[in-house]
Amino acid sequence: MKIKYSALLLLLFALQAQLSFGQKCDLSIRGKIIHLENNEPIIGAYVWIAESNTGAASDENGNFFIKDLCPGMYNLTIQYLGHKEIKETIDLTTGPLNKTFRMEEESMELSGVEIHGHREAVQTTTSVSSLYGEALLETRGENLGESLKRIAGVTTFSTGNSISKPVIHGMHSNRIMILNNGIRLEGQQWGAEHAPEIDPFIADEITVIKGAETVRFGPEAMGGVILVTPAALPTKKESLTNIHLLGATNGQMGNISATHSSGSDKIKGLGYRVQGSAKRAGNIKSPDYYQGNTGLSEYSASAAVGYSSAKLGVEGYYSFFNTTLGILKDSHTGNLDDLENIIANGRPFSDPGFTYDITNPKQVVTHHLAKLKSHYHLSDRWKLNFQYGFQFNNRQEYDKRRGDLNERPSLDLELYTNTIDLFADHTHINEFSGTWGINLIQQANSNIPGTGVTPLIPNYDMMNAGIYMMEKYSKGSLELEVGLRFDIRSISTARYVQSVLEEADLNYQNFSAFLGGLYQLSPRVTFSSNLGSAWRAPNVNELFSQGLHHGAAAVEFGDPDLDSEKSFKWVNEIAYDGEKTHWELTAYTNQIQDYIYLNPTGETYVSLRGTFNVYEYLQADAFFYGFDLSGSYEFTDKISGYAKGSIIRAKNTEADNYFPFIPSDRMDWGMSFEFGKKQQTNKLTLSNMLVARQNREPDYDLAPAPPGYSLINLGYQRQFPIGNDKLNIGLQVQNLLNSSYKEYMNRFRYFTDDIGRNIMLKINYQF
Amino acid sequence: MYTVKRLPFYALALATFAFASCESEDPVMENEEEVITDVTLSFTELNATGDPIGTKISFKASDPQGIELGTAPTIEPVNLIKGKTYRMEITVANAIANEDITSEILAEGDAHQFYFLGTAFVGSPPLTIAYDDASGQLIGLRTKVTVAASPGFNNATMRVILRHDLNKSYPGANNPNFQNYEQAGGESDLDINFPLVIN
Repeated sequence: MKIKYSALLLLLFALQAQLSFGQKCDLSIRGKIIHLENNEPIIGAYVWIAESNTGAASDENGNFFIKDLCPGMYNLTIQYLGHKEIKETIDLTTGPLNKTFRMEEESMELSGVEIHGHREAVQTTTSVSSLYGEALLETRGENLGESLKRIAGVTTFSTGNSISKPVIHGMHSNRIMILNNGIRLEGQQWGAEHAPEIDPFIADEITVIKGAETVRFGPEAMGGVILVTPAALPTKKESLTNIHLLGATNGQMGNISATHSSGSDKIKGLGYRVQGSAKRAGNIKSPDYYQGNTGLSEYSASAAVGYSSAKLGVEGYYSFFNTTLGILKDSHTGNLDDLENIIANGRPFSDPGFTYDITNPKQVVTHHLAKLKSHYHLSDRWKLNFQYGFQFNNRQEYDKRRGDLNERPSLDLELYTNTIDLFADHTHINEFSGTWGINLIQQANSNIPGTGVTPLIPNYDMMNAGIYMMEKYSKGSLELEVGLRFDIRSISTARYVQSVLEEADLNYQNFSAFLGGLYQLSPRVTFSSNLGSAWRAPNVNELFSQGLHHGAAAVEFGDPDLDSEKSFKWVNEIAYDGEKTHWELTAYTNQIQDYIYLNPTGETYVSLRGTFNVYEYLQADAFFYGFDLSGSYEFTDKISGYAKGSIIRAKNTEADNYFPFIPSDRMDWGMSFEFGKKQQTNKLTLSNMLVARQNREPDYDLAPAPPGYSLINLGYQRQFPIGNDKLNIGLQVQNLLNSSYKEYMNRFRYFTDDIGRNIMLKINYQF
Repeated sequence: MYTVKRLPFYALALATFAFASCESEDPVMENEEEVITDVTLSFTELNATGDPIGTKISFKASDPQGIELGTAPTIEPVNLIKGKTYRMEITVANAIANEDITSEILAEGDAHQFYFLGTAFVGSPPLTIAYDDASGQLIGLRTKVTVAASPGFNNATMRVILRHDLNKSYPGANNPNFQNYEQAGGESDLDINFPLVIN
């Protein structure tokens, strides 16, 4: 609570400061101009103040800035072609003004007005970071988890190099949410070795929301939300093709992706996009040896078609994802003895050399997602939205077994998910805007018979219904947002264990809320604060797991009496946006009641196969807090530097000990040099990743945390415009010095060193 | 235009239909096909020329429920007579799925191998053992076991380990008493400690 009060005090001081200097003519108006109907920024709108004879035009983000104004009342006019003029009297007697202006499109009678796309922006007062453009280009060829490591505060929880799950502020799996083009991704995300079923090539922008966003997106978003968003569909005939070709030396990886989008001449507002990608890689090489059976084969495709007019927007979308992932052979241990032997050895016993072949153990995962989205403008102020999503996920895990059993998966799950969102957005000329909606999720999970193993989790049906409302108030330099949500969830499960049918019906309900604010302290400094509650019903694996986990030589038991997890996350961010200096500091706390975790019981089971550890799911209160810092500085117009880092502390406040797999302190810093002619930019970046040892270890772990490490990375990026086309060439060297290291957050640290030097060539052609 | 306007309502109707039609399957009983529940060591005495004589004696280790449910396995002590040489045959079975796993091990002889460790084979050992598989491969389903005429100690432990997916040509892997068996790679399918009593 102490921290909270001091932050409030700081805010009050800032307000005071603004007031006391109010008599000088140093006031400003800082505004943003967006389309009323879809919140897209308006570029080049003209803003005029009659009294002072000053004006400005909005920039590419829709922002404008008018400074050196004396206290007083002013008449403001905003004009933009094809839109209704805004005339407003503004009050600058008490301080500077920060306001969002929404421009309404005039009727379609005006000829020559272009219809614009209907892409939604995330409008939230909490901390948001995005990867797009050049930064996204640099991540191409990596999986979603690896790509997001570039954002301060985001790390990965991985199983080798091909499986990595994003971790936001120490939370992962079912505690964060991933949205594939607006639909919450529903795979078997509970598993530590279950990677998100998504192809990052579909994204034009990947956004991470670090606050608890349960109200907006539904239960489970207690750690944060990741939005994987494709580009807006074209609304007229403008063909764009984007081809990526990538190769990497480590694993001899090859990756190709192509996207084509265009529209129709005949039907105004009709557009489409098709996209596909394929990836193949073989055994990964650690500096001293190859990791056996670590190849992967992946292909995916997506298609979208949309229609948009001034009042109606409809979009259909389908995506398909398929992956076959080899699992490090040596990680499949027979019993505790085997596990202890390999940990003591520090590396795999075998070095099979390079091959593209993938054998057991392996995972074969297929994911289909189809969605239909539509909006309709009921009036100037009200927009009705409907979204339906269907998902089918099939996960097959093959173990090393005997004879014909090798051909059969030992885990074979089919998960169907239906989601419906119905919500109304309303915006007003005055200070209010908001969203009211309902959200339904229905899920059916079935074990496909014939595995020859008692299923790890039962078959189940889940239904979740939520109702929510959010309102935003913006005035002057202040933006305030509040939201409420109520959810009910029912789960019914059934499974045979030792020929006894075990059934359970469980019900959960929860209320969640958030309160957020954004305040422009000065034209360059923004402060935001968001307090959000979130909840998560225990997952079926936490309730009913019963089985052997080969990688951990452990038998895991669920507990059907677990309660829902409930959390309060408070995120504060202060950002400075100067001419040469940019920085952002995020500080957060997350108090979680009944946090569910897997705990070693200290008991062992003896069987003919040997000895196994016994783990059980427990709950306890937890407290997480931490800081993310990222900043950059331009030394000259050719040389710039950046640094970003994150610190997380997480504690079991009941037992006063630490949880396993919490990211250690880390920072990434580097220098960039730009050279060459104006049209053909060359950029060379040398960077250094520093990761500390995790000294806050749990009471029991199979092996102590590995030592800290430092990696040197080198990147080169070059852009060639060829007529109207664009060619981007990138060369990246990761782990330049080929250092041997182990990452605490990689579950395979028990078995092997991490990946060695990797040289990647990335070619991108846009025409 | 009228039909386009109503599109969201059609979609809602469609979605409601999809909701109603999607339920999980009824669970099906799975046969535990991978579990080993019974391991039997059978001993037949061999005469000086190596031919079997007398009746077979068997000692069994069993764990009827497999790994997940925690009753410890029952392991019978192995009783052998001083100075005699035996043919030891190992049979492995899954009583839950009523399956003979011995033949599977034999069929995948290039990926399986038994090792025999424990105090019974250490120091001036009460037992010496050599691979004697009918196929000539080093598997250990059939071995020749010699009991010392005057063993230095009694009540030793005979640890039987079955390795799967190992590198059989790893240096030392051809020794049935290979202490560092884990270095040949692979994983343990069986790891049983039989008490040994010499009469």
